[in-house]
Amino acid sequence: MRKFNIGLCIVIIFAALLSQAQQVHLPLSKDSLRFAIIGDNGTGDKPEYDVAQKLAAAYAKWPFEFVVMMGDNLYGGESPKDFQNKFEKPYQALLSSGVKFYATLGNHDDPARQVPYKLFNMGGKHYYTFKPKEGVRFFSLDSNYMDKTQLDWFEKELKASGSEWKIVFFHHPVYSSGMRHGSNIELRSVLEPLLLKHGVDVVLSGHEHFYERIKPQKNIHYFIVGSSGQLRRGNIGKSELTEKGFDADNVFMLAVIEGDAMSFQVISRAGTTVDSGMIRRGGKTTSATQ
Amino acid sequence: MFAVSSCVLVALLAGTAPQRGEPATKDPAIEEFNKQVKKYMDLHNKVEHSVPPIDKKRESDPARIVNHQKALSAAIGAARPEAARGDIFRPDVQPVFLKIIKKQLSSGKGPTARAMILGDGNPKSPESPAKVDLSVNAEYPAKAPLSTVPPSVLLSLPRLPDGLEYRFVGRHLILYDASANLIVDVLPNAIR
Repeated sequence: MRKFNIGLCIVIIFAALLSQAQQVHLPLSKDSLRFAIIGDNGTGDKPEYDVAQKLAAAYAKWPFEFVVMMGDNLYGGESPKDFQNKFEKPYQALLSSGVKFYATLGNHDDPARQVPYKLFNMGGKHYYTFKPKEGVRFFSLDSNYMDKTQLDWFEKELKASGSEWKIVFFHHPVYSSGMRHGSNIELRSVLEPLLLKHGVDVVLSGHEHFYERIKPQKNIHYFIVGSSGQLRRGNIGKSELTEKGFDADNVFMLAVIEGDAMSFQVISRAGTTVDSGMIRRGGKTTSATQ
Repeated sequence: MFAVSSCVLVALLAGTAPQRGEPATKDPAIEEFNKQVKKYMDLHNKVEHSVPPIDKKRESDPARIVNHQKALSAAIGAARPEAARGDIFRPDVQPVFLKIIKKQLSSGKGPTARAMILGDGNPKSPESPAKVDLSVNAEYPAKAPLSTVPPSVLLSLPRLPDGLEYRFVGRHLILYDASANLIVDVLPNAIR
């Protein structure tokens, strides 16, 4: 009995430590833009719900304005019930707090059902742009179907943006150390010239079911956040590209933009910070704190 | 000297032409293809007015989206009951498409493009298997993923109007009406 009590105490202390571990240590200043990133989340399974719960807990301590979704928002069926079980229910706490979600399309998503869906905020388009704050603009692309119409639109919007921060997100990563998929060179060949020409700062993707921060490529910072529901353990291969990788658990990412700096923190399903750091616009520095 | 310069110029122009462009739209087969596509879209737009509308930008009820899609698909099917394979991918356009796809998949980026088409997302890939009925006017199954189409292929095929897409099911190319979730036409064994 005594042994059991000691064991129980250890479990309680461990649980308390784990919950402590989820401290968000990002700045919370008044004029900053705070947002979260999830990807490949829409399984409707326990890991998705666990990550969603951790995300809501992070929001309670560190309120953010919106969440960007890296695609594969709904796996399998896309019936009205699937919208509930794979999106509305897991993120209910955030949705009811007024947090907006901005989706991009993955290869498992049905555009006809997701594009008009109000809670995905795509404005009826496969690709779109939004400006959550003066000086910051996001661009969501449909990497499943990168045709000339979309490329022309993207270039026009980049040119017209004038924003200091340009953050682009789409499903398929153009740089990746994934052993399953790896870098999408096809996509890179058409997108990278535009990203460079128009001074894009950050590119966010999913598809690979892990987290990876790529070493800045030609001054652009690339992140893969594709394990907020799915997980492909041990899938990050040895590569010169990796600045930081994590494929042992599901994760979400938090980010804050203040002036020329974007700080970020990546938190696992267990509540552990697996990566964090700060990047400077223009690709000058990346200083990870862990 | 002039002849050499001309050759160099011609070679340079030939080298730059296919970068971002569509295939030669003057090709009568492609012109006919574009005509058939327009005819289909005219029918789609006409039929769409007959089904209960949704807010295409901000529809809050997924059930309404699904019902709209199903109603549109059924209405288009009813409006073209005689539609058959090859109505749009006509016999004279098929070799043009096959040539374009073959060229792109044999280029330097070919292996990546092929992997994109046949990999995760293609309903015939081992990662995401699903049954798809490849009949004209068949609904694309809700549980089946849509293949990714590489930019090199998309930038080489004739441009489609909004709402109509090229997709692959296994090695077969389909013309897919995205808002109606409908298979409009099929080009079998487009990848060989």
